[in-house]
Amino acid sequence: MFSFRGCGRWVAASLTKQHPPSARLSGENAAPGTPRFDVVVVGGGHAGAEAAAAAARCGSRTLLLTHRADAIGQMSCNPSFGGIGKGHLMREVDALDGLCCRICDQSGVHYKVLNRRKGPAVWGLRAQIDRKLYKQNMQKEILNTPLLTVQEGAVEDLILTEPEPEHTGKCRVRGVVLVDGSTVFAESVILTTGTFLRGMMVIGLEMHPAGRLGDQPSIGLAQTLERLGFVVGRLKTGTPPRIAKESINFSILNKQTPDNPPTPFSFIHETVWIKPEDQLPCYLTHTNPRVDEIVLENLHLNSHVKETTRGPRYCPSIESKVLRFPNRLHQVWLEPEGLDSGLIYPQGLSVTLPAELQEKMITCIRGLEKAKMVQPGYGVQYDYLDPRQITPSLETHLVQRLFFAGQINGTTGYEEAAAQGVIAGINASLRVRRQPPFIISRTEGYIGVLIDDLTTLGTNEPYRMFTSRAEFRLSLRPDNADSRLTFRGYKEAGCVSQQRYERASWMKSSLEEGISVLKSIEFSSSKWKKLIPEASISVSKSLPLRALDVLKYEEVDMEVLAKAIPEPLKKYTECRELAQRLKIEATYESVLFHQQQEIKEVQRDEALQLPEDLDYLTLRDVSLSYEVREKLQFSRPLTIGAASRIPGVTPAALINLLRFVKTTQQKQAAVNELSRTDQCLCDTDKLEERQ
Amino acid sequence: MWRGLWTLVTWAAHGPRSPRSCMRQASGAPAPGSGATIFALSSGQGRCGIAVIRTSGPASGHALRSLTAPRDVPPPRSACLRLLSDPRTGEPLDRALVLWFPGPQSFTGEDCAEFHVHGGPAVVSGVLQALGSVPGLRPAEAGEFTRRAFAHGKLSLTEVEGLADLIHAETEAQRRQALRQLDGELGHLCRSWAETLTKALAHVEAYIDFGEDDNLEEGVLERADSEVRELEVALGAHLRDARRGQRLRSGAHVVVAGPPNAGKSSLVNLLSRKPVSIVSPEPGTTRDVLETPVDLAGFPALLSDTAGLREGVGPVEQEGVRRARERLEQADLILAVLDASDLASPSSCNFLDTVVTPAGAQSPNGSSQRLLLVLNKSDLLLPRGPEPSPDVPPHLLLSCLTGEGLDGLLEALRKELAEVCGDPATGPPLLTRARHQHHLQSCLDALGLYKQAKDLALAAEALRVARGHLTRLTGGGGTEEILDLIFRDFCVGK
Repeated sequence: MFSFRGCGRWVAASLTKQHPPSARLSGENAAPGTPRFDVVVVGGGHAGAEAAAAAARCGSRTLLLTHRADAIGQMSCNPSFGGIGKGHLMREVDALDGLCCRICDQSGVHYKVLNRRKGPAVWGLRAQIDRKLYKQNMQKEILNTPLLTVQEGAVEDLILTEPEPEHTGKCRVRGVVLVDGSTVFAESVILTTGTFLRGMMVIGLEMHPAGRLGDQPSIGLAQTLERLGFVVGRLKTGTPPRIAKESINFSILNKQTPDNPPTPFSFIHETVWIKPEDQLPCYLTHTNPRVDEIVLENLHLNSHVKETTRGPRYCPSIESKVLRFPNRLHQVWLEPEGLDSGLIYPQGLSVTLPAELQEKMITCIRGLEKAKMVQPGYGVQYDYLDPRQITPSLETHLVQRLFFAGQINGTTGYEEAAAQGVIAGINASLRVRRQPPFIISRTEGYIGVLIDDLTTLGTNEPYRMFTSRAEFRLSLRPDNADSRLTFRGYKEAGCVSQQRYERASWMKSSLEEGISVLKSIEFSSSKWKKLIPEASISVSKSLPLRALDVLKYEEVDMEVLAKAIPEPLKKYTECRELAQRLKIEATYESVLFHQQQEIKEVQRDEALQLPEDLDYLTLRDVSLSYEVREKLQFSRPLTIGAASRIPGVTPAALINLLRFVKTTQQKQAAVNELSRTDQCLCDTDKLEERQ
Repeated sequence: MWRGLWTLVTWAAHGPRSPRSCMRQASGAPAPGSGATIFALSSGQGRCGIAVIRTSGPASGHALRSLTAPRDVPPPRSACLRLLSDPRTGEPLDRALVLWFPGPQSFTGEDCAEFHVHGGPAVVSGVLQALGSVPGLRPAEAGEFTRRAFAHGKLSLTEVEGLADLIHAETEAQRRQALRQLDGELGHLCRSWAETLTKALAHVEAYIDFGEDDNLEEGVLERADSEVRELEVALGAHLRDARRGQRLRSGAHVVVAGPPNAGKSSLVNLLSRKPVSIVSPEPGTTRDVLETPVDLAGFPALLSDTAGLREGVGPVEQEGVRRARERLEQADLILAVLDASDLASPSSCNFLDTVVTPAGAQSPNGSSQRLLLVLNKSDLLLPRGPEPSPDVPPHLLLSCLTGEGLDGLLEALRKELAEVCGDPATGPPLLTRARHQHHLQSCLDALGLYKQAKDLALAAEALRVARGHLTRLTGGGGTEEILDLIFRDFCVGK
């Protein structure tokens, strides 16, 4: 335990002896007065919570600074997690031992896998979540995370010092200054300020500075970032009104029932907390021409809609739906906010009309005729920082050891925020340990797609994940996120628990063994037809079929196969997840074989790293157009692969960049030769640390 | 030209390296054997004695075996004479020198193969198309060989000074070439296909990403299905219409026709520089169609000598006339021959009316048959005499006997054949055509997979692959395009 003076209210401080703090830190800690941490995370939303927990899991002494500790894990918009693409991100967060999947398995009230009939590569795990439970469980998890401390306080400024000479950046962050003038020193700082940077709430023509209903925005921090030279943009989003549950006539509406049994989000959970029959239903209703009328008649009272700030195209307000797609009935899903909550969230009805008009609009919708609006919908406009100013490790180009994650980077959604949070937390921690960054390629995961899109292309609307964004969609599936990321997380970042690592290892070896057994069993198609009459196997083929080929048939699963050939297949049906994953592997086997080739080509370009200190504007002896130079200078791609994805970078420019890769590699080789002895010493240190 | 220069420089860069230094540089580079295998024509375009076609990548050995079956790959780095044949049809392509460079001791550091073939466009085109049909091979992108060589440490920094400019030139030339091609009918087709496919894919993607929560209109998938089916039919028909593609392979069909005794056979013998046809002053000497492959002004052509067109002769000659007429209909280019000293005769007038005039007129579908009118026996005309007749359409004067007017004829032939075959002097049509064919066929193959797909994710993957092949020809093809279409066509989102 540490005691600090004058820096806000301490909510909890938990430290254990499990991870001994490094010697250097304990040394610096001796300085009186100012608290010191390895990693300071500013913001307690979904990005902040994941970032803080990940940094702590990696062994960094971490401080989570937030306006209000009781708002940690708050779901400020929809009462649901996951979906198509977003569910994929969550599984990857879980594979890195992140929190959101585990918390969702403890807090959901309506679990449903979307896209069940469209193929396992695009299954979307989704759940309605009890807001209160989620917050409680998240806070419990955060407050019980070893090495993680939570403090309430608003950050107003950053402490900056001279840059480290071996890295680029014009300065280095050393800590933060709070509103009350107190300071906290940190080796790395992660900003996850969400919509709070110059946040502005809009209802009708009224505008209030706020990051979220009832919370103050961060203005000082926004000014600091702008002063440092960050390019700032403005985005908008919105949230629908909340309706009293008992005022809705559900009996005349379509009911959507959840899955039974529910599928858990987390790899390490067999079941979810709730009994299948206790889950809550959702209901579906639609807008009608009267809603269109109210929206169109009152556009003059709606400043949010009139503004030119970019909002999301895919999560549009009811106003933009009416304007862009007139004369249609739009869906409104009525979603429960929790088990004992009296509120209903009308998904699809995001609106910024003046409050009284919102209620008028609601009551002309079927089933909502007598609905009571408890809280009006509102819009939020906020600053974001052009994400081309950060590296794939989420560290900024401008300020060393300063990381950004979540909506500050122009994304939208809890899942997108959580995914960035984990990566920022891991990398902030690795940076403190002076280890290489942990970067997920777009060939490895949706997290890689998300971050690569942001850092190479930037965004001018709130960025949301879709499966259409992933070019290797058949490889990056929700079922195999663990085999893609858990091992890397364990070995390179140290953010994965032993238990999860062992489970993933068992699953991986069982899958490999299962697939090779399925490949080894071969019969003629007529024999297969006899063994499994229900499968539509064509007997005209003369070539023998492998069990793996038979498993591709829609009517065949591992159960069916094992019934036909109990030995040696029976044991692969004992674990339901294993049996299902074998079936999925069989389904995609042949396509994945081809995809693997493309993946290798992309990875080959990504293996060619560009020096981070390349000054593209002054690079001599190279014929690069000024336009290309500017683009490269702004995005600062770390690999040839990333550079090739920046629009406007030509093959000729790439060849030039390759030259630099080669020179650097040659120089690097020489340096490595010299410092080999040092390296050996470092490795021994690491070993000791692990033991 | 640009390609010639390009090759020169890369080979010059490659030439003086000692194998040992190559090996040293290669260490630490990514292991060969990953990624696709690429192929390209590495020597200059147009007419040349020997053309070099190169492959690089793990399937190089397989490609070499496929084209030289049943022989195995030759010993590393030694030139062997092999008969190349098309792996699909077994049709012989050329007798060529082949070389096998197993990685890492090769130009790119990967497994490489080289085919030194006879430089005629027909042979080169045939070999390129045969390579494109080998699984795992695709035409190289601009600068791809060099990039691979570079990535494997095979080119030193000094050697690639100025390389960027070359690659730039190559890219530019490819772009210009693509533009030229895309201006034409094929380009128009490709673009409209790519548009259809992008839309179909966008709708399938919308159904995957939003179909569950949002109310997409009814029948989104069904519409995509039927659009894909139509596209498949159109592509299939286009690819089956091999005539266009075949012209360079076996040469353009040039048919020499005219009334009896106009000197058709003399012209054929003159053009082919050998006595293909029996020549006599007697009308009706040629009674069957005689074919001979020739090189006409740098273009491969199949020259056909036909029976003189006349009515009311014996059954054998009559059959010859029927065959001549049939051949005329298939001709890419008609060399119409008349006796300059006999233009007023009924057979000459008849020929002008029935063959020459109709060919000049545009047919309703816009395709007119190409025809060159040659007035032979100019030596029989009076010196400085009047023009044969003002009524005769545009023509060339020629004397097969003296050879006068031959240069003019050859120049006219060159122009016409360039139109028919594409002009090697203005760009690399062979390479682009191999690319076109490769990508169109791959697109069609992928559409076949769409039909068989067991789930929607697999179906969408097939469409993605198919679209990828088309957009390599037309440009574009990013994800953002798909998202734009989704948000334009559907009101999705909460």
